[in-house]
Amino acid sequence: MSVHEQFADDLALYATGALQGSERVAVETHLRECAQCRSELERLRGDAALLAFSTSGPRPPSRSRERLLSAIARETRSVPVSRSKWGPWWSTLEWAAAAALLVVVFLLLHQNRLLRTRIGDLEAGSTEQQQQLQQAKQLLATLTAPDAARYVLVAGNKPPQPQGKAIYVASSGTLVFLASNLPDLPPQKAYELWLIPTTGSPIPAGVFKPSQGSAAIIKPPLPLGVEAKTFAITVEPEAGSPAPTSQPIMVGTRG
Amino acid sequence: MLRAASDVASADASLVAAIRNGDEAAMAQLYDRYSGVVYSVALRVLGDTGAAEDILQEVFMQIWRSPDVFDASRGSLAGWLAVIARNRAIDSLRKRRPEAEITEVIVSVEPDLVRGVEWGRTIEKIRGALGSMLPPQRSALEMSFFEGLTHSEIAAKTGEPLGTIKTRIRAGLLALRKACNP
Repeated sequence: MSVHEQFADDLALYATGALQGSERVAVETHLRECAQCRSELERLRGDAALLAFSTSGPRPPSRSRERLLSAIARETRSVPVSRSKWGPWWSTLEWAAAAALLVVVFLLLHQNRLLRTRIGDLEAGSTEQQQQLQQAKQLLATLTAPDAARYVLVAGNKPPQPQGKAIYVASSGTLVFLASNLPDLPPQKAYELWLIPTTGSPIPAGVFKPSQGSAAIIKPPLPLGVEAKTFAITVEPEAGSPAPTSQPIMVGTRG
Repeated sequence: MLRAASDVASADASLVAAIRNGDEAAMAQLYDRYSGVVYSVALRVLGDTGAAEDILQEVFMQIWRSPDVFDASRGSLAGWLAVIARNRAIDSLRKRRPEAEITEVIVSVEPDLVRGVEWGRTIEKIRGALGSMLPPQRSALEMSFFEGLTHSEIAAKTGEPLGTIKTRIRAGLLALRKACNP
């Protein structure tokens, strides 16, 4: 008998389910670490099965067979994939997936770090742009404020003359135009500023009515890259005109 | 009872594999082969045909739902079914939850014993061995297996010492082994 003698009787009782309490616990503990006793338990269960076979004789009624077959026909079940067949493949795939996931995690962490740096730069740039925008708004508000007081400084005691100053950047199509001491307009008329290109027709650059003789136009954008020969002002209908309809009252020269 | 087969274990393994793939005909074959074993054990324990039919249904439905509960490489299907049927019947008798996972139950029975032509002789040998036992030994063995009594309960019922009951049960099992595997 290749079994630990101290467990021999208890193993037999365990096989028939007759062992309880601390003795059962002791046997189960021993079985977990003893292959010989596990093997003997299987044989003792086989012996118990022989005892079960001794009951052989009665046959179940035919209705039991019908009952079972009806039950399994009603109960559809999915066919499982055999782990023994696919196990190594699944295992390989699982490891590959885990490795790929690890790589993705590292890439995401790296990208996250880059994005944080980028966000920091953008935040710094945004602050600077906010400051510039604020300055531009203040400049624009000052230039266009209806209550802005304008002072023209001239040499000697000459009376103020109508003046216009256009600051134009052809590459960006931006224009700032300031005018002062303009004469009052006739009813339903307005001044219109024209960009006079080196070649081609005049381009409308803004319609305005001066307040107390002064006006400011900030015009982004005009057509890009148009080289200006000069700027001119005409008197036009209030809605403006696509082309000058009167002689210019002021024409500029490049300073 | 059981059909003749050159290799019962291999045939059982094939049936279980087919059942794993949802083969209802294989399930019917398995039932035809082993329903007698399951039913007769349950009937012996419960003494009631209706209750035994319920155990029969339960055991086979469990195989249909989870064919992997039986590992053909680790034991005899006939023996496993007999032990599982007995355990379920005892649980039913005592109105308790199953004590152990049936996947943990491995039953080693020589395949030759349950071959079709050998089956009748095996039953004769078992019954012969039981008949040869002294009544107290046979009684202790049957009380533990068919009535689900613990060794303490058997000792209390018979007035015998615990150690004697233990020895009788083990000796009885070994006598059955010896009778079928001389």
